Amino acid sequence: MSADIALPRVAPANSRRHAPGDFIFRHLTFLFALLVLLILGGVIVALVDGAVPALRHFGISFLYTDVWNPVTEKFGALAPIYGTLVTSAIAMVVGIPVAFGVAMFITEICPIWLKRPLATMIELLAAIPSIIYGIWGLFVFAPFVQQYIQPAIISSLGQIPGVGALFAGPPLGIGVLTAGFILAIMVLPFISSIMRDVFETAPPMLKESAYGLGATRTEVVLHVVLPYTRIGVVGGIMLGLGRALGETMAVTFVIGNAHRISASILQPGTTISASLANEFTEAVGDLYLSSLIALGLILFVITFIVLAFAKLMLLRLQKRAGG
Amino acid sequence: MAIYARRRLTNALVMALAMAATGFGLLWLVLVLSTLLWNGVAAITPALFTQTTPPPGSTGGLLNAIFGSVVMTLIATLIGTPTGILAGTFLAEYSRGSRFGEVVRFINDILLSAPSIIVGLFVYQLMVVRMGHFSAWAGAVALAIIVVPVVVRTTEDMLNLVPNTLREAASALGSPQWKVIVMVSYRAAIQGMVTGVMLAVARIAGETAPLLFTALNNQFWSTNLNAPMANLPVVIFQFAMSPYADWQVLAWGGALLITITVLFLNIGARALASWSTFKQ
Amino acid sequence: MSAATARQVMSLAPSDPPETHGDPSLGQKVLIRDVDFFYGAFQALKNISMPLHDRRVTAFIGPSGCGKSTLLRVLNRIYELYPGQRASGEVIVDGENILSSGMDLNLLRARIGMVFQKPTPFPMSIYDNIAFGIRLYERLPHHELDDRVESALRRAALWDEVKDKLRQSGLGLSGGQQQRLCIARAIAVRPEILLLDEPASALDPISTQRIEELIAELKADYCIAIVTHNMQQAARSSDFTAFMYLGELIEFDETERIFTRPKQKHTEDYITGRFG
Repeated sequence: MSADIALPRVAPANSRRHAPGDFIFRHLTFLFALLVLLILGGVIVALVDGAVPALRHFGISFLYTDVWNPVTEKFGALAPIYGTLVTSAIAMVVGIPVAFGVAMFITEICPIWLKRPLATMIELLAAIPSIIYGIWGLFVFAPFVQQYIQPAIISSLGQIPGVGALFAGPPLGIGVLTAGFILAIMVLPFISSIMRDVFETAPPMLKESAYGLGATRTEVVLHVVLPYTRIGVVGGIMLGLGRALGETMAVTFVIGNAHRISASILQPGTTISASLANEFTEAVGDLYLSSLIALGLILFVITFIVLAFAKLMLLRLQKRAGG
Repeated sequence: MAIYARRRLTNALVMALAMAATGFGLLWLVLVLSTLLWNGVAAITPALFTQTTPPPGSTGGLLNAIFGSVVMTLIATLIGTPTGILAGTFLAEYSRGSRFGEVVRFINDILLSAPSIIVGLFVYQLMVVRMGHFSAWAGAVALAIIVVPVVVRTTEDMLNLVPNTLREAASALGSPQWKVIVMVSYRAAIQGMVTGVMLAVARIAGETAPLLFTALNNQFWSTNLNAPMANLPVVIFQFAMSPYADWQVLAWGGALLITITVLFLNIGARALASWSTFKQ
Repeated sequence: MSAATARQVMSLAPSDPPETHGDPSLGQKVLIRDVDFFYGAFQALKNISMPLHDRRVTAFIGPSGCGKSTLLRVLNRIYELYPGQRASGEVIVDGENILSSGMDLNLLRARIGMVFQKPTPFPMSIYDNIAFGIRLYERLPHHELDDRVESALRRAALWDEVKDKLRQSGLGLSGGQQQRLCIARAIAVRPEILLLDEPASALDPISTQRIEELIAELKADYCIAIVTHNMQQAARSSDFTAFMYLGELIEFDETERIFTRPKQKHTEDYITGRFG
C-alpha cells in the first residue's frame, strides 16, 4: 500500500528532474542540425560575396567571354566552363556504358563467390583519393597517350573532313581528352557501385517472372530491371556527373591549364577547378581573385543543380521501395 | 525459331560485352595501383619518415608533411565527429517526418557530394581572408566541413537501424528520452557510427583541393597551427608538377602512403560494419 | 509442334472423371520421379515421386517450409538462377526429362508459365506486359499481336476492366487486377503447364474468389499446379492434392479422398487443423 502512495509522488519529481536534460539535448542536436544548413548558407554567402567585384566589373559577359588575361585584368569564364563540361561529357560517354557493364556483370552474370570480392574491390577503388589518379595520369598515362594513342587518332580520325578538327594538332599527351579519360576511370567505380546497389533493389520475384517467361539475362536486365530501376540509375549517373564536374586533382595534372577553347579535344584546356587549383594562391590583384571566386560560384551552381536533381531521383526510388 | 536464335546471339553478345567492360574497368584500376606500388615502394626509405621536405636538387623526406596531415586530420575529426553525430541524432531521433528534418537531410546529401574545392574557397573567405594568412587551423576546418556530412549520414542511417522496440522498452522503464538515446540507441549503433567516422577520416586523408587555399604548404618543420603547414596531398601536388626528379620520387612515395592509409581505413571500416549486430 | 500433339494424345476431355491417376499412360502431363533438392547442404526435398495430370489442378499443401514451393520451382527450373541450389532425379514432361543438362531453360520456361505469391507486373504498360512474352518468341503483325493480347486478357477475365487503358502502366492496377495481369501474361505465351505459387496469398477475399474462378476455367486447357497454404482453397479448386511435410511427400491422391478419408494419420491431423 505504501508503494502505491509513494509512486505518484516519485513520478512527477522524476519527470521534473529529467525535463531539463531532454530539453537541452533536444535543442543541442537541433543546433547542430541547423549548422549543416548554415554551412551551405555560408558557402553561398562567401562565394557570392567574393564573386561580386568580378561580376559587377564584367557583368553578364563574364559568362560568355573566353579571354583570361591577368596582365590586362580581363577575365571571362567561358573557357573553364567549356572545359568543365567537355571533360565531364567525355567521362560520362566513356564511363556510363562501362559502369553499366560492370554492374550488370556483378549482379547478373558473375559466379556467387566472385560477387562480394568484386563488389568490395570496386567500392575500395571508388575510395582512392583523386590525386592518385592525377599523378598516375601525369606520369604514366599522358606519356603513353602521347606516344601511341594520339598519333593513331590524329592519323585516322583526324583526317576525316569535318569531324577531323576535333582530333587535330600535335600529340602533346596532356589535354582535354586525356583529362576526360582519367575522369572516366575515376568515376567508373563510383557509378558502377551505385548502379549495382540500385539493380539489387529489383525484387527477385519480378526477375523470376521474367525468367519464367523464358527471357534471357539480357532481356531481363534491359526490359525489366533497367526500367524498374530507371530513376535510381539516372540518379547514380547524375551523382557521378556531379563528381566529375567538381573533380579537381584528377584533372589538374593532365589538362594543361590553357585558358582557351580549342576545336580539338587533343589540345590543352582548363576546367573551373583546375584553374582554381593552379592559379588561386598565385593570383595577384582583387579582380583576378574575385574572378576566380566567381568561377567557383559558377561551379557550385552547376553542381548544386546536378546533385539536387540526382538526390530527388534517388529519393523517389527510395520512397517507392519503401512503400 | 529464327527469332530465338537471334535472341540467344544478342544475349551472348551482351554478356560478352559486360564481361569485357568489367575487364576493361579493372584493367585501368590495376594499372593505376600497380604503377603506384612500383614507383611508390622505390621511394619508401627511412629518410622519408625522418627528414623534412627538401629544396630542389637535394634529398629529404616527408616528415613535416606527414606530421601536418596527421595533425590536421586529427583536428578535423575532433571537430567534425561530435558535430556530425549530434546533427545525425537530431535527424534520426527527433525529426522523423518533419519538414525541417527533410531539408537538412537533403542539404547534407548535397554537401556530401559537393566539390571539395568549393569548401576550400569557403574557408579561404571565412578564415584566411579574416586572419590575413594561411593556417593549419583553416585547413583543419576545411577538412572538418568535409567530415560532417559523412558522419551525419552514417549516424542517421545507423540510428534508424536500431529497432524501435528497444527505445520503447527503455522508455517504458521511465527513462527520459535523452538517456534512451545516449545509453541505448548510441550503444546499439556504436559500431556503425565508428565505421562512419573511419570512412570520413579515409575521405579527408587524401583530400587535396580544400587544403590548397587554406593550409597551403610549408617547406619546413612547423608545429604552429596559426601558420601554413605542410601536408601530404599538397606536397604531392607541388612535387609531382615540378621538373625535379627527386621531388617526383617523393611525390610517388607520398601517394603510396596516402593510398595505403585510405585503403586500410576503408577495409577496417568494412570489417567493423560486417561485425555489426544490425547487419540484417 | 510435338508438344501439342502429345497433349492431344495424352489428354483427357475436361469432363472425364479424374480417376485415372494410377494409370501412367493416361492424362499424365508431368511425371516427377525420385526428385531430391538441395539448398547448399540442406536437403529440401526428399525422394519425391508423383504425377501431374493434364487439364487438372494439382494442389501442393503442407506447413511452411515443407518444400511445396520448392517442388514448384523445380518444375520450370527457376531455382537455377541461384547458385548452390540443385535438383536430382527426373521430371518427365511429355516424355522428356527436363532436369537433364542439355535442356534449354528459356524454351522450357516458355512452355511452363509461372505466377508468384505477389503480383509482379513489369514496369511497362498493361499491353506491353502481355506482349513481352509473346514478342520473345514470335514476330507478329500488329493486329495479330493485338488479338493475342486481347484474348489473353479475356482469358484472365481482365479485359473489360483494362480495355480502355492498355497503354497505362500495369503498376496502376489493384492487387487483384495485377495478379490477373500476371496470369494473362503467363498464358499469353501459350504454355502447356501453369505453376501458381500461392497466387492469392496477397489478395483480399473477393480477388481471391475471382482467381479461384479463373483457375477453374483455365483447367480446361492447362495442366495446373498450385501451391497454397489455404486448405479450403485446395479443397475448392483442385482435383488432386499432394500433402507434403519436411521435404517429403506424405500423401498424394484425389482431393476429395484426401479431404474426406486420408490414408495417413499425419495428413488427417493437418487437414483437421490438429497441427500446423
